[in-house]
Amino acid sequence: MTTDLAAPVISEEAISVWDGRLTMRIKVAGAGAPLLYLHPAAGLRWDPFLSHLAESFTVYAPEFPGTSVGDPYAIHAVDDLPDVVLVYEELVRKLGLHNAVLVGQSFGGMLAAELAATFPGLTDRLVLLDPIGLWREDAPVASWMSTPPEQLPALLFHDPTSEAARTLLAMPEDPEMARAATAGMVWAFGCTGKFAWPIPDRGLRKRLHRITASTLIVWGEHDRLVPPTYAQDFHALVADSRVEIIAGSGHVPQVENFPATVRVVDEFLRRGRAVTR
Amino acid sequence: MKITLFEQAPYRYLADDFETNNESVCSTSYSHTTRDGVYSSMRDFLDELMLGARAGFDGLAVTEHGQSSYDMMPNPDLVASALAYMTESEGLEVAIFPMGRSLGKAREPVRVAEEYAMIDVMSGGRLVAGFPIGLHYDASINNGVPPIEIRPRFDENLELLLRAWTDPEPFPWNGRFSQYPQVNIWPRPMQPQPPVWITGIGNPRTMQMCLERNFGFNYLSWFGAKLTGKRIFDRFWEVADQVGVPRNPYRLGFAQTIAVAETDERAEREYAAHLEYGFRKGLGSIPPEKLGLPGGIDIRGVQALLKDPGDFGLYAQMRHATFAELVDAGVVICGSPATVRDQVMEFCTEYGIGNLHAMLGFGSLPRDLVMKNIQLFAEEVAPHLRGLWHDSEHVHHWWPERLGGVPTAVTAGASATEGMPPEGVLTARSAPRAAVPAGAVR
Repeated sequence: MTTDLAAPVISEEAISVWDGRLTMRIKVAGAGAPLLYLHPAAGLRWDPFLSHLAESFTVYAPEFPGTSVGDPYAIHAVDDLPDVVLVYEELVRKLGLHNAVLVGQSFGGMLAAELAATFPGLTDRLVLLDPIGLWREDAPVASWMSTPPEQLPALLFHDPTSEAARTLLAMPEDPEMARAATAGMVWAFGCTGKFAWPIPDRGLRKRLHRITASTLIVWGEHDRLVPPTYAQDFHALVADSRVEIIAGSGHVPQVENFPATVRVVDEFLRRGRAVTR
Repeated sequence: MKITLFEQAPYRYLADDFETNNESVCSTSYSHTTRDGVYSSMRDFLDELMLGARAGFDGLAVTEHGQSSYDMMPNPDLVASALAYMTESEGLEVAIFPMGRSLGKAREPVRVAEEYAMIDVMSGGRLVAGFPIGLHYDASINNGVPPIEIRPRFDENLELLLRAWTDPEPFPWNGRFSQYPQVNIWPRPMQPQPPVWITGIGNPRTMQMCLERNFGFNYLSWFGAKLTGKRIFDRFWEVADQVGVPRNPYRLGFAQTIAVAETDERAEREYAAHLEYGFRKGLGSIPPEKLGLPGGIDIRGVQALLKDPGDFGLYAQMRHATFAELVDAGVVICGSPATVRDQVMEFCTEYGIGNLHAMLGFGSLPRDLVMKNIQLFAEEVAPHLRGLWHDSEHVHHWWPERLGGVPTAVTAGASATEGMPPEGVLTARSAPRAAVPAGAVR
């Protein structure tokens, strides 16, 4: 296993979908079998986890409609979650990805699960990192959108003072760029929030049984945004699934405990099945 | 100039240190209240508005705020309808001005159209129809609307409402946010079309929409008019120039908190503590993340506000603002009749304001002092202001005909939503025709 953080060469693609009403922008890196990565609510940020995956796969990381720089109003082209799922399925076809590994984090985890449930033939390996999408009265999912910005780090990270957390939250030094980055993140919350507000439950619980892919459910032990108890709900509803709890981590295990996260993900992707048979 | 009495319905008996011990005034535990306190807060509020009607104000204005202790007004149409009947039965020629039902919040837009139509009929054609786009906490937290949908929902609901008012025939509505096999409200408004006013705090897109579509624009200046007035009003008139409409002061409304007593000294003595209550336990205790939820403000608006938060005036300090700070920022105008009328006159003249919404009840101000404030303002201040634009060439097109206005029809123009594709909510599904049928246009 490597923890070399050097970013690979990343190229960008633009694919027209949804009868020309949307242009999806995708960051692509690496070589090998295809892997589709769906980013969390704050937008796509290329991180060491993606660089690591790109060492073994060709990573395709699309930007959610409305979150691409210079194209904020693309969000108005999709009305509801079924629209989004169809857009992503169309994107997968237009990219020519066959049986790509599907990886999603948080909001992207919900989206990945929706895709795999709606189109069971789309993938046979699914990795969900602290996904949203379910709701329990006894462990409500925190409202990241209405949390004051200064409290977000403590919601996201077990140790918000850690270097990994601070690196992820770092803003550009140039004030104009920092403002653009902040506005972009706020808007990304707004775009993804269209499909998660006010309660991040659009009925995924009813659909999880349709997933046929082998599924790895990864959860930060100290996730305060989506409590780890949800891991067992996903596990109970997805037939061929396994749960890995990552110690010393909050909502973003691939950042806060990179070694442990890539160890379980790598092992799953090597073996190809969640449950040994 | 038209002068309305504007009041909110705050719970008037919160503890002195409320703002230091509570997160906000829009998540307040109801355990802070007593039954008598709630009753008298509401009863006094209604009595005060009726005093305003009898004292000769041109209009009575109220706002909508759900689940909040600073304005117990989940539906201003309930109050407006009570005022409509009371004033009609007393023969009082006063506009009923809910500022009003938020169309970005409303999930039952036909009901909003029906309520306003009812009020117009009950008042004999004295409704002025206000529509805020939608305060984020109210639309999104209290009513579950995704923040990024507030403006698209406003746009669609407004088209539906205007057509429901004016189309004499039943029609189906296939919207993105609501669908109805038949829309055919009874009654329709008495006025061919009640004047439409939109509330805003400075977004140029909202101003553009108002100016292009012949809506009035209400600027509710909670943030301190001395800090924000020039920015906002200059911006408004610059947009008017770009749109190519005359700088008619009657298309602009301005809300100002005002406290009048016999002398400056007495005004401070009587009102200062209640003004502090009003803003510390009001806007000052609405945290920024409740006023601006992600997606509710356009991405370029967020960037502009990060660079220059000046439109928010004194807001950041308001939770602990002193009387002196409130006065210095122009959040309040407090003093003798002469002091107040000079300041208001200067301000309205300088910025071209043709409608003043005088907020004369606020915070914990007790009934007798609100009544005094209303009476003194009506007798000693209003008469000096009312003639402000009489000698101008401008006509008031945003006021009911029965009350001396010369209303003109709503026109086509910009939507409230930035970047909505042409096949978006406004035209795709039902393709509403021009909002006003030819027969209704004057």
